[in-house]
Amino acid sequence: MLSAAAQNPRPLLQRGGRKFNLQKCRRSRHFYHSVQAVSSFYPQSETLSSPSSSSEILTIRKSLLSRERKAVEIAQNYLNRLRSTEPQIRSFLHISQNVMSEAEQIDRKIERNEELGPLAGVLIGVKDNICTVDMPSTGGSRILENYRPTFDATAVRKLRECGAIIVGKTNMDEFGMGSTTENSGFQVTANPWNAERVPGGSSGGSAAAVSARQCVASLGSDTGGSVRQPAAFCGVVGMKPTYGRVSRYGLMAYASSLDVIGCFGSSVADAAILLEAIAGHDRFDATSSKREVPEFTSQLEAAEFLDSKPLKGLRVGVISETLGDGVDSGIVSSIQAAASHLEELGCTVKEVNMPSFSLGLPAYYILASCESSSNLSRYDGIRYGNQIAAEELTSLYGACRANGFGSEVKMRILMGTYALSAGYYDAYYKRAQQVRTLVQKNLKATLTENDVLISPAAPSPAYRMGEKKNDPLAMYAGDIMTVNVNLAGIPALVVPCGFSEVGPSGLPIGLQIIGAAFDEAKLFKVGHIFERTLQRCRFVPPLVDKDV
Amino acid sequence: MAVANAALAMVGGIGVTMLQRQRNQLYSFMAKNPLGHALLRSRRDFSARSSSSLLPPDVSRLAETARIALTPDEVEEFAPKIGQVIDWFGQLQAIDLQNVDPALRADAESNNLREDLPETFDNRESLLAAVPTYEKPYIKVPKVLNKD
Repeated sequence: MLSAAAQNPRPLLQRGGRKFNLQKCRRSRHFYHSVQAVSSFYPQSETLSSPSSSSEILTIRKSLLSRERKAVEIAQNYLNRLRSTEPQIRSFLHISQNVMSEAEQIDRKIERNEELGPLAGVLIGVKDNICTVDMPSTGGSRILENYRPTFDATAVRKLRECGAIIVGKTNMDEFGMGSTTENSGFQVTANPWNAERVPGGSSGGSAAAVSARQCVASLGSDTGGSVRQPAAFCGVVGMKPTYGRVSRYGLMAYASSLDVIGCFGSSVADAAILLEAIAGHDRFDATSSKREVPEFTSQLEAAEFLDSKPLKGLRVGVISETLGDGVDSGIVSSIQAAASHLEELGCTVKEVNMPSFSLGLPAYYILASCESSSNLSRYDGIRYGNQIAAEELTSLYGACRANGFGSEVKMRILMGTYALSAGYYDAYYKRAQQVRTLVQKNLKATLTENDVLISPAAPSPAYRMGEKKNDPLAMYAGDIMTVNVNLAGIPALVVPCGFSEVGPSGLPIGLQIIGAAFDEAKLFKVGHIFERTLQRCRFVPPLVDKDV
Repeated sequence: MAVANAALAMVGGIGVTMLQRQRNQLYSFMAKNPLGHALLRSRRDFSARSSSSLLPPDVSRLAETARIALTPDEVEEFAPKIGQVIDWFGQLQAIDLQNVDPALRADAESNNLREDLPETFDNRESLLAAVPTYEKPYIKVPKVLNKD
């Protein structure tokens, strides 16, 4: 199924190996056709009214405003599917008791002809490290089992103000540390495309929930790829905004210099609507940007009137380092096909080099471990969370943390503690920050010569469960495609672009589109046109396809 | 963590140039190949630490510093994994970063700080309700022993 290289990602990016060849890619249009062949394998559902890339949020809005459907019917429909698929998928840690009553309130608003928020009646899942006042928020950790925050995160408050119904809290790797959601302190989530595969992580629950149509859209968080990689693994759209675009108030801190709240949707338009709702300055987060938030969605509607070359003149750089040895051949051919597709849409596609690319991974893991060792020191069992009785204060701390944290979290805290030890700072943390400067400069320069950059979102499709469990470095290697974007703080959008192989066992593959800081609008435009013109690719897992 | 320069002094006495050359070769490979740690697994002696003041991680001491009571089994399980990752971190020692300023975070805006004024949180009761051991008006903790 996977190539030998994907099983063993070590030779990844070795110089002098197989290199991405744009000429070859231009000649081999069969990649594009192979994508079509894959999707045509799936029988088109007879009830299918629209392609999988159309906006579910806009469809809901239209049917509510025209009084064609009631909010309670829509909510019931999603809850039914959630209940029937959840025993297999296990994407939620908590499910709200208020979904139906909130839907009824929306219906009453419609009856009274009151104004409806842009997300009225839209069921949204929220990653469990984002605080909700009416539901437990554990961050996937036993140390916060049953913890109820005293406030809503700003992003959640904004969603509610737009009329959204928060359907529940989604599973994740404990405090965001992991790439498979297997490090959750509570349960393992399955990939809706194949129950023996992981959904990716750390926002695996949020990605799986949207993929299985258990909710319309969801929030995740992305510190090193935690929105983009699970989006790719589950065949949904994932947006990692610019650092500071969305307030982090109420997001449990992992690595504060990198953390950002992001969005999942089954279409680019849905991800754009969600980001528009949650973005903007917040006085409770000093790092949130005061820049105006553009109307992402109005720009997308214009893009519906497609001419033959809707992206004419757009300069696209393919990062050659991301298509080298160690990257699964199915991934490479899908990204090459996507590059051809963009060229057909009028883009000028060229290969670009990013010399600092390979340095980003160790630098990222140093920074993330160090910052997490500091951030997670707040979990001491005194003011909230699970407390273990002890004779003496230091033993109480030690026991609470030993009992509450899982192995991966313990190891990262210890690695961070090591790297931040007196006398070690210059060798690790400072050097990693210097590498961050190199990566920032490198990406900034590349993005002045190109409008967007493209790469795979991950070097392989979804892993088998347990595949990476006992080898931390093999797990970390899977993040190679995404971490540089976090180091630079720039936005990136992941759009499903193909399947790993023809047939029902095919797993989705994601295209990562990277843009300059605060240029999310461009990413949405490119992603939207890309998905609307991707012929006969349907990213609805067979599990729920008959039903959608 | 106080670290002596013993390791440095020791290496300083024996064939520095040869060791240095071997190490440089190794690191130029690692810099090109971020996943080249596999090569290093069996050759921990060549990691950057051995020639400088950086000592290998002592998991028990780190756990004490980080206030996590590890079991002996956990120490045994974590030590090789942590050692492996720290070795892999070591590849950054080989890159020339002179005259490169460290970046504290993403290239974001600054000056968004609000005035440092106290405000009353209006959900005070629920904050207190979350405290595991609370005896009005105190948050109760066990005795604090000073080991020094």
